[in-house]
Amino acid sequence: MFAKDSGLLQGTLELLVLKTLSWGPMHGYGIASWIESATGDVLRVEEGSLYPALYRMARKGWIRGEWGVSENNRRAKFYHLTAEGRRQFGEQSTGWQRLAAAVTEAIGSTQAPAWAR
Amino acid sequence: MSEKSSGGRRSRLFQKEPGTEVGDELAFHLEERVREYVARGMDPEAARAAALERFGNLEGVREECAQMLHEERRAEARRDWLDDLRQDLRFGVRSALRAPVFSLLAVLTLALGIGANAAVFGVVKSVLLNALPYRDSGALVRVYGRFRDGTNEQGGLSAGTITDVAERQHSFSSMAAFRSNPTDAVLAGTDEPRVVQVAWVQPAFFPTLGVSAAMGRLIRDDDVADTARMVLLTHPAWQRLFGGDPGIVGREVVTNGITRTVVGVLPRGFVGPMGDADIYYPLNLGPTLRDPVAVRGAGWLGMVARLKPGVAQDAARREMEVIADQLSREYPRDDGSLGIRAMPIRDAMVGDTRTPLLVLMASAGLVLLITCANLAGALLSRTLSRRKEFAVRVALGAGRGRLVRQLLTESLLLAVAGGVAGILLAMGGLALLRGLATQALPSYAELSLDRGALLFTSVLALLTGVVFGLAPALSVRRSEPQETLRDETRGASEGRRSRNLRGVLVAGQIALCVSLLTGAGLLVRSLLAMTSQAPGFGPDGVLAVAVQLPSATYQDPAAQTRFFGLLEERLRGLPGVTSVGEASAVPTDVKQHNGINIVGAPPPSSDAQPFVLYAPVSDDYFHTLRIPLRSGRVFGPQDRPDAPPTMVVSEAMARRFWPGGGALGAQLRMGPDPNSTPYTVVGIVGDVRNDPARPDAEPMAYGTSRLDARPTRTLLLRTSGDPLALVNPVRREIAAVDPGVPMREATTLRTFLADRLTSRRLPVVLMTAFGALALLLASVGVYAMFASMAAAREREFGVRVALGSSRRAIASLVLRQGGVWMAAGLVAGAGGIVLVTRFVRGLLYGVEPFDPVALGAALALLLACAAVALLVPVRRATRVDPVTILR
Repeated sequence: MFAKDSGLLQGTLELLVLKTLSWGPMHGYGIASWIESATGDVLRVEEGSLYPALYRMARKGWIRGEWGVSENNRRAKFYHLTAEGRRQFGEQSTGWQRLAAAVTEAIGSTQAPAWAR
Repeated sequence: MSEKSSGGRRSRLFQKEPGTEVGDELAFHLEERVREYVARGMDPEAARAAALERFGNLEGVREECAQMLHEERRAEARRDWLDDLRQDLRFGVRSALRAPVFSLLAVLTLALGIGANAAVFGVVKSVLLNALPYRDSGALVRVYGRFRDGTNEQGGLSAGTITDVAERQHSFSSMAAFRSNPTDAVLAGTDEPRVVQVAWVQPAFFPTLGVSAAMGRLIRDDDVADTARMVLLTHPAWQRLFGGDPGIVGREVVTNGITRTVVGVLPRGFVGPMGDADIYYPLNLGPTLRDPVAVRGAGWLGMVARLKPGVAQDAARREMEVIADQLSREYPRDDGSLGIRAMPIRDAMVGDTRTPLLVLMASAGLVLLITCANLAGALLSRTLSRRKEFAVRVALGAGRGRLVRQLLTESLLLAVAGGVAGILLAMGGLALLRGLATQALPSYAELSLDRGALLFTSVLALLTGVVFGLAPALSVRRSEPQETLRDETRGASEGRRSRNLRGVLVAGQIALCVSLLTGAGLLVRSLLAMTSQAPGFGPDGVLAVAVQLPSATYQDPAAQTRFFGLLEERLRGLPGVTSVGEASAVPTDVKQHNGINIVGAPPPSSDAQPFVLYAPVSDDYFHTLRIPLRSGRVFGPQDRPDAPPTMVVSEAMARRFWPGGGALGAQLRMGPDPNSTPYTVVGIVGDVRNDPARPDAEPMAYGTSRLDARPTRTLLLRTSGDPLALVNPVRREIAAVDPGVPMREATTLRTFLADRLTSRRLPVVLMTAFGALALLLASVGVYAMFASMAAAREREFGVRVALGSSRRAIASLVLRQGGVWMAAGLVAGAGGIVLVTRFVRGLLYGVEPFDPVALGAALALLLACAAVALLVPVRRATRVDPVTILR
């Protein structure tokens, strides 16, 4: 999942990162772990996609990284949402839910198209 | 926004290289993963391998992320820089507004300094730098005739000389002759007859200059025939005389009673090398070339030529000298004393204005330097009083560089405001100069601030800001916050370094100021010497009216004499008029030099053909201008055209040519013709100064206007009342005698003389103004230095007074400290004076370059102003009350 060049899924990964950070500042490893556990290990986050995504989002001004100390006393770079990031999260999660609902509805539809009748 | 920038700026100090930072982050990730695998029961070795494998292309990811981080940081730095600038500007405006008087004075000072430079540069650029209204003017040459004895360096050439030059020269691809001076003509057919200036040029004139017509055509070869009857208009004449009539080409006009057809209009901005003119006629040298006397005897022509590609101006000049030497040998009588001089056309047109302009530019530059030094000093003391503020800001973590930037922003802000105000000032100044300086500057010069001058001014303003902002900025960089904060509480004096800097600034101002004042003093003395010398005639209470007879209706000299006789008779009857005379040219404006030969004297050696000033005058001319008769008689009714010709000479002429006396009754011939009827000297009159810049009066001869009648004359009316009240009565009388005769400008003779001196007065007035400005600025500088010196040591003085020091001792302490710098300034000023005097030497007249009066006056003025400036602070220092200070 989340292969590097998949445009559609790149947006999904960013949305998940935003969601993760909406709980509070977290480092890259923690973000990956949380996404995996929150999706019941259905989504596996590739490091090769995650870190470029983090830097891309920092450049867009959605998140900021600052060095801090991890729970086991190691220096780690913690990311937190900026005001712009919070706004993006709100917008994108609504968009995603509408998309997901629409796709779900289409997939679950029992009405055959005209040409199939 | 604020969250982002403040966080970014605070952490920038601790930032690592992008590569290292990303590497650290990824290393942490890997370690966490390894820990996770170990916790699940893998042995560490295997866990590390698994973690690496899961990560994949570690190096690739690291590079990609480092690249993005690098770009982000660059963008952030740019954002921060702009933020800082915005903040600096806001802060600068606020701090300028907190000290409104200081800021206003600073802007005003800058406006004067920058404005003076912009205005003078505007003039310099339009006169010396802008393109002439000709194509490739660098290849154009103006050729003059010159007297080998040096009395006339830019004279006319004869028709014969021009023909010979044309045949012998190899330097020019084309050349053309023209009349050296435009002639006057009467233009009829407009609402009232008007006098217009006519330039006469050969058909090759415009192609040589590379000028084409704006409308219609220029002069063709067949136009020189007498039957052509054509006229070419200049652009301003087309506008002024014909209201810019678009159908002007083909229209008929009447000049001097002859109907002519307008064939074309010259382009806007075109000015010929002979000066302003309204219309151009074709010049035909044929008749002159056929006249055996005038062909070589009359030098009335100018010449322009275009160099062949690859020929240098110098080569052309040398070739002309060679040809002149040949002609002198071949025609010793006519050309023996004449040379030929070629020079670049710009040099010819700029003429005498180059030196004064450069002097003015240098003076304006000095004023700006003083302005800079002054503001640097003022900002420095402001910085000192803000030391605490800066120390606190440094202590709170502001970088030194940041403070320097802040201070430079503040000074640049002042400089920009001063520059804008200065440009406005310069525009006003140039508008003023346009009215004042038209006589003093070449006629092609358009005085305005074009893009180049604006650019110059902007660069100047920014440079000024950096220069005067640098001193305070550097002083901040050096200050130690801890010491400053501690010092302030203890109240120590100003630091030695910044005190020395201020001293140097004041010394520099004094040096520049004394140099400028000396230069101005020398010029003022020259002008005074020029104007205070007795002119040799009485110019007060005289109205001068130039009158122009249309030549077609007054071809017969007798008709001219009749007209002027009738007119003079009527003018004498006007109330208030005590005497009426007339002459072809008024003193200070006599242009005609005639070659003379004394009858009976040995023939002059070939290079010593004597020339004298010459003007035909009326009988009452000497009486009207109060030129005293020394012996013999002036002209009278007996000097009829058919009587033997007579002449009146000046004392200088009598002395020069008849040194042993015996001028009265002597005979001389005018002009080159040895067979002409000789003139008999019947009277000797007092000397009249024609050129006020010459130390002695030139020899002058007068003829009678009964014999030598001229269509252009100046009437001179001596009155008992206000001369200008006569202008309208005179106009009525002229119209009563002949309504077809136009009257030209009427002025008092005084005004006329003053106008003739404009070109000499202008640099004097401007340099004096600059000197006054410099003096004011330097005085303020001296005051500021002493004031802040005294203020900074107030506490120390208090202690000294408490310990028993006398007020006198305190005063001498202050004076000694400041006096050293003033003395240093004067010493440096001596060097400046040497430079300035060398520079203005060419403009001096009647004074030595090291004129003790000018020098002494400059020094005295400066010292007096400095004394006034330091009086207040020194008094304040001696009044220090130890009790209040030390409490």
